[in-house]
Amino acid sequence: MSELTPFLGRPGTAHRGQAVVEVTHGIGLHARPSVAFTRLAKSFPCTIEVAVDGSNEWFNGKSIVKIIGARIRRGTRLRIRAEGSRAEEAVAALSELVRRNFDEDRKNGRPDGRPA
Amino acid sequence: MGVPMAAPRDLRGRPAAPGRALGAVHRAEERPLPSGPPGESDARAALEAAAALAAGELKALSERSDEESAGILDFQIELLLDGELLAPALERIGKGEGAALAFAAAMNAHMDTIAGGGDAFALRAADLADLKSRVLDALAGRTRADFPQGTVYVGRDMPPSLFLAHDWSGGGGIALSAGSAASHVAMLARSRGVPMVVGLGALPVESGDRLLVDGSEGVVRLDPEERLLSPPPSVVAAPVPYAGVAPRARLFANIDTLADLDTLDPALVEGVGLVRTEFLLPSAAEVLDEECHLARYRRILDRLAGRPVTLRLLDVGGDKALPGLVEGSPASVLGERGVRFLIAHPDLARLQARALLRAAAHGPVSVLLPMVTLPAELVAMAQLFDEEAARLERQGIAFARPPLGIMVEVPASAFTLDLFTQAAFFSVGTNDLMQYLAAAARDNPAVAHLYAGAETAMFRLLEHIATTARAIGRPVSLCGDLAAEPAALSRLLDIGLHDLSVAPSRLAGLRAALAGDA
Repeated sequence: MSELTPFLGRPGTAHRGQAVVEVTHGIGLHARPSVAFTRLAKSFPCTIEVAVDGSNEWFNGKSIVKIIGARIRRGTRLRIRAEGSRAEEAVAALSELVRRNFDEDRKNGRPDGRPA
Repeated sequence: MGVPMAAPRDLRGRPAAPGRALGAVHRAEERPLPSGPPGESDARAALEAAAALAAGELKALSERSDEESAGILDFQIELLLDGELLAPALERIGKGEGAALAFAAAMNAHMDTIAGGGDAFALRAADLADLKSRVLDALAGRTRADFPQGTVYVGRDMPPSLFLAHDWSGGGGIALSAGSAASHVAMLARSRGVPMVVGLGALPVESGDRLLVDGSEGVVRLDPEERLLSPPPSVVAAPVPYAGVAPRARLFANIDTLADLDTLDPALVEGVGLVRTEFLLPSAAEVLDEECHLARYRRILDRLAGRPVTLRLLDVGGDKALPGLVEGSPASVLGERGVRFLIAHPDLARLQARALLRAAAHGPVSVLLPMVTLPAELVAMAQLFDEEAARLERQGIAFARPPLGIMVEVPASAFTLDLFTQAAFFSVGTNDLMQYLAAAARDNPAVAHLYAGAETAMFRLLEHIATTARAIGRPVSLCGDLAAEPAALSRLLDIGLHDLSVAPSRLAGLRAALAGDA
């Protein structure tokens, strides 16, 4: 990737962010978690990329096709990086979403493993 | 009303499918003939519009669904909004592929990526398959236009896909100003028992007018006095006692749609000699869905209960369009159709090959290649079948490698059967062979007399075909309208063509003629 285009961030805003977070959700980033992840990612103006720890292949974090294709399973250490306006904020929010198990526990769903 | 009733008036055309039908006219929109193949920008715009339409449908559906279902739909919506989903399809369009095929191939590649691991992620491939169908339906919807049940279709000509998409169970008929009794749609009409008249010239009727179609006489009546009509002739042929083993011929059935299965008593035939899969799967969404192929092939195999079934690979192009996938054009009768189209679009050929390989694990399947000209075409398709068989083996999916045979309908192959060493069998398609032999398009009324007049040349060639096939020890059968002509029967038998495959509705007549011939 080449150097960044100018951003509109406030002076003093960091333009890069990076974090590593472990995926603890039941299966991993399958359908619903990846929808939550990409929708949140798309709410930020910066570029966002993810990689499975140990791999140098970075995927577009706003593309559900790429996220699903990356097969991010439970136990994976997920690297998230962002560049551009509100990059640090984006990384923090996405890491927090993964730690919160994509808010699935708070949804009605099947909290106690009732059959689908 | 004080308006005097107009007197009935007959207009003469040519009979294309027997029977009488009375109904309100449905006048087809006369669309200007497409000027050449749709351009790249059209295909891009069509695909993007179809994706947007599908996303809109899904959003509406999601809003009135429970949370569990909405979650699944949200996943599909998110996929549709992701530029990465369409990117590979748009790239294929840039290389000249049509919108539907480009999209289906790209989706199949996405599904392969996701399904590869056989884990929980593989389940998501089903969502992609669902999404694929929805977008393809949206693509095809732009060209699909059904008409009310029970009406008489009036137009210049009628695309076979329109005939197939229509529910004829409420009766109705077809009256065409152009058209031909030798066209595919006429063949379908005969097989479904839909009265049809062609070559009527300009028809002074509007939608809603009553029209009587007499497909036996080749006449339509304007302002008919007839109020009621006997119900449409039953498609089920009157039972003719089966004379045990037919003395000189073996009869097989042609199957175009699953509805044909209902009219067929499998006990009365040796098997199915020809399944026209392009009619069995008449929309882009169906034809690009491997599971849909497999389900229909299995329905036929189950119904035939162990009797052999010969399925022909998609024969699209020529006068057979597939809306959203292949634009039909009279010019492509001599162009990219049949196996030529499949070799040029291997994604489609592979999809069908996989479904056929899987179907062959459930019953005796043979596969016919349409419009073969040179042995190299057969070699290429045989290799494609072998490669897909190897892929199924790796994936642990049950399959059997069916024998491959070729349609003999191009004079160049008809004269060189001995060069097709890999062909397990031959099937003569008399309708197309006749049109290529006479250089007279089967659906062009202006040259219909030449098409019919080339019969002597046709029989000389048939004799050559039968002799060569015998010499190299390969079975040869006959499908096409000639096989169902009682008048041609004894000549066919005399030159050694004993295996005849005809529409279920023609079996009874042929059986009666055989009894007379014996």
